[in-house]
Amino acid sequence: MRTAFRYGIMLVVGLAVGTGAAALQLRQSFAAMGIENGPWRTGEKVGTADASVSTRASVALRGLLALPEREAIYFNATTDSQGRKLEGRCSYRVTGGAIDARWWSLTLYDSKGYLIGNPERVHSVGSAAIPPQEAGNWTVDISAKRTGPHWIAMPDDQPFELTLRAYHPSRDLLARRGSVSLPRIERGECRA
Amino acid sequence: MSRWTGPLLLAVLAALAGWYGTLAAAPTVIMDRAWARLADQVGTNTMAHTPLVTAERQTIVRPSPDLAYSVCTFDLGQGPLEVMANPVPDHYWSLTVFDSVTDVAFVESDRDTRGKPIRIVLATAEQAVPEGARKIMLPDAKGVALIRVLLKNRGEIGAVDAYRKKSFCRPLKA
Repeated sequence: MRTAFRYGIMLVVGLAVGTGAAALQLRQSFAAMGIENGPWRTGEKVGTADASVSTRASVALRGLLALPEREAIYFNATTDSQGRKLEGRCSYRVTGGAIDARWWSLTLYDSKGYLIGNPERVHSVGSAAIPPQEAGNWTVDISAKRTGPHWIAMPDDQPFELTLRAYHPSRDLLARRGSVSLPRIERGECRA
Repeated sequence: MSRWTGPLLLAVLAALAGWYGTLAAAPTVIMDRAWARLADQVGTNTMAHTPLVTAERQTIVRPSPDLAYSVCTFDLGQGPLEVMANPVPDHYWSLTVFDSVTDVAFVESDRDTRGKPIRIVLATAEQAVPEGARKIMLPDAKGVALIRVLLKNRGEIGAVDAYRKKSFCRPLKA
């Protein structure tokens, strides 16, 4: 009887620990997707049964109905380039160069993956808004108030995430997604 | 050997099973909920050309404010469905079909079609489709077909609507 109890209790504990670990892994944002490039996280074989079980779960939870990589690749960031969590009380500057894709966009979401309401209704900046002369060296500011021509509104103090979408990515971008040069995210001033 | 060696080994195996099972089940559970939510909002087996996403109007996680979405929440229980995606000139547009476990059953974009519409028939393995139809086989009845059109700016939605609203999703006529 005691033996059965020991097995029973350890079975329950094991299942609880495993389930909890999976939930925690998914909550830790995009780390479950596996590929790191500076502050950016991405995965492989998104949208296919060949993707890892972690990638499939993470995409379902945080990017449901995402395009497969032949159409688009998604890079997500929850920290700046120094590894500090992105917070609405701070301003940020995102700087980047040419991205080897047909079109790209940078979009700001809350920590659950939804757009944050702001009076100006500015949630993203796309490559179509960047003049050709800036395409190789562009800057996007993230702050409560507009500070430059390319700006995304962050109206309050909550933590946030950034998603960089690249549509029709080149073969090179797909092959070197973990090492290619991606935009830097620099923190500016923070409110107390 | 301790009396706890066996139970501890079982706990490790159970933890691995719990971890893997949770991750493996997540896409099905999440898609099922999203399907029900979409079906409630836009109906089933019809193409809904939804308004542009705003912070106040978001159904699916991580929507792009730069895209116009048309969505068909489908259920093949009553038979195959015909889906047509109409081209939007000089824009990125694509049609993606997701099955009930979030895998992509079909995707094509303007790069593939060279200005022509996409015409497909969604059906399960046992459902027959007319000869010549481009059958996309789904593992089960439920899924989502999604058309994306990339906007150069949100102001051009009116012009884009004139094209994308010709796209449809409807039961296949016998």
